[in-house]
Amino acid sequence: MSAGRPRRIVVVGNGIAGLTAADTLREAGFDGELTVVGDERHPAYSRPALSKALLLDGEDTASHELPPAGHGASELLGVRATGLDPERRLVSLDDGTVLPYDRLVLATGSRARRLSDLPEELTLRGLDDALVLRERLAANPSVVVVGGGPLGMEIASGCLAVGCRVTLVSQGAPMALQLGAHLAGVFRAAALDRGLTLVKTTAARLERGDGGVRVALGEGPVLEAELTVTAVGDVPNTQWLSGTGLVTRGAVPVDARGLARPDVAAAGDLAALPTARGPRRVPLWSSAIEQAKVAARALVRGAEVPPLRLQPYFWTEQFGVTLKAVGHFPVAGEPEYLDGGPGGGPALMRWPCPDGSGDVAALDYRIPVPRLRRTARPAT
Amino acid sequence: MRIVLDRPRCEGHGLCEEAAPQLMHLDDEGELVLDREEVDGADAALANAAARVCPVAALRVA
Repeated sequence: MSAGRPRRIVVVGNGIAGLTAADTLREAGFDGELTVVGDERHPAYSRPALSKALLLDGEDTASHELPPAGHGASELLGVRATGLDPERRLVSLDDGTVLPYDRLVLATGSRARRLSDLPEELTLRGLDDALVLRERLAANPSVVVVGGGPLGMEIASGCLAVGCRVTLVSQGAPMALQLGAHLAGVFRAAALDRGLTLVKTTAARLERGDGGVRVALGEGPVLEAELTVTAVGDVPNTQWLSGTGLVTRGAVPVDARGLARPDVAAAGDLAALPTARGPRRVPLWSSAIEQAKVAARALVRGAEVPPLRLQPYFWTEQFGVTLKAVGHFPVAGEPEYLDGGPGGGPALMRWPCPDGSGDVAALDYRIPVPRLRRTARPAT
Repeated sequence: MRIVLDRPRCEGHGLCEEAAPQLMHLDDEGELVLDREEVDGADAALANAAARVCPVAALRVA
């Protein structure tokens, strides 16, 4: 690494991780040349809103908008990074530009995993995807959603709420893989109550049918709807890093300060963090923010920066139920009730961990997140 | 500069409080309370940081 203070820092990615990194670099005292590269033409926006308020709101299309960036970087938007030479410290862009840097932040996030190359298969990852979906929903089509994770369930909920007939195809019980059986049961009941048709399958694939695309289930049945949306996971955007040695199993492993090497940080959905169970991606909004803060500081200040101590926070709204959760989900078994009780209604739940801490969930229960985080810590 | 809260939008995630505890906090009911509305200098930067982490865009700094 070159001695002295960095003069040029490039942030590749303009989602919340890239934006937070750029802001934090300034807060950490970096006053040199800062460049942010984003492959979307839009300024940074709130991704969680895309599958929630933005699908629902009639006239309100601002629920995803973030205040303008204040980092004073030169922003190259609508441009994609295509290559990195970590030895010569050069980032190549698809418009032919080559950007030299002293320090680099990798924050290119991830993209929707697809089940086919068929254009009728819609996914929801970026703002443009959400706007297309919103527009298509205006005609109240019948919808089949493939994927029983939080995103698939939120999409199904949004489609139902605007008056569509919706079938959701899930491998196993929806949300069980992410949250555990107890909370999954709550969401399943709420979804059925709102009129969702739920189809469990061992495998689903998309194929071309007479009337467009259709969903073929492993067990034989075939589902057809006017609109097919898949939400079957995400794939980190690391193709542009091939040959750099920075990518392992599709993600960028980083140390506890978010560094992939002394002059390169990575934050957000493409970064694999050190955890007790090995390197793991934690692709959540608040995780991206916390990762980006630590990584940006470490890039400027090095080992004096305290390492990341992530206490994952996650929330979802679907079928009239809101959940805020802190900790490591899924959780097994029944919770302890700190407030409320089983059988519906607002509840604050905790699943104790062997170390005295707990995984906590607030279901239809308004609680400040800092207090929810304290509830998850060991009792003192 | 002034921090403006769009209260109907606020869902009480509290990420803003984590970003700028000097300027705002959620009360026991989970309602956001702005402890200071007029900000400048370093506080304005903090206010902006708080506004940007809000996933429902309930805060503006104008």
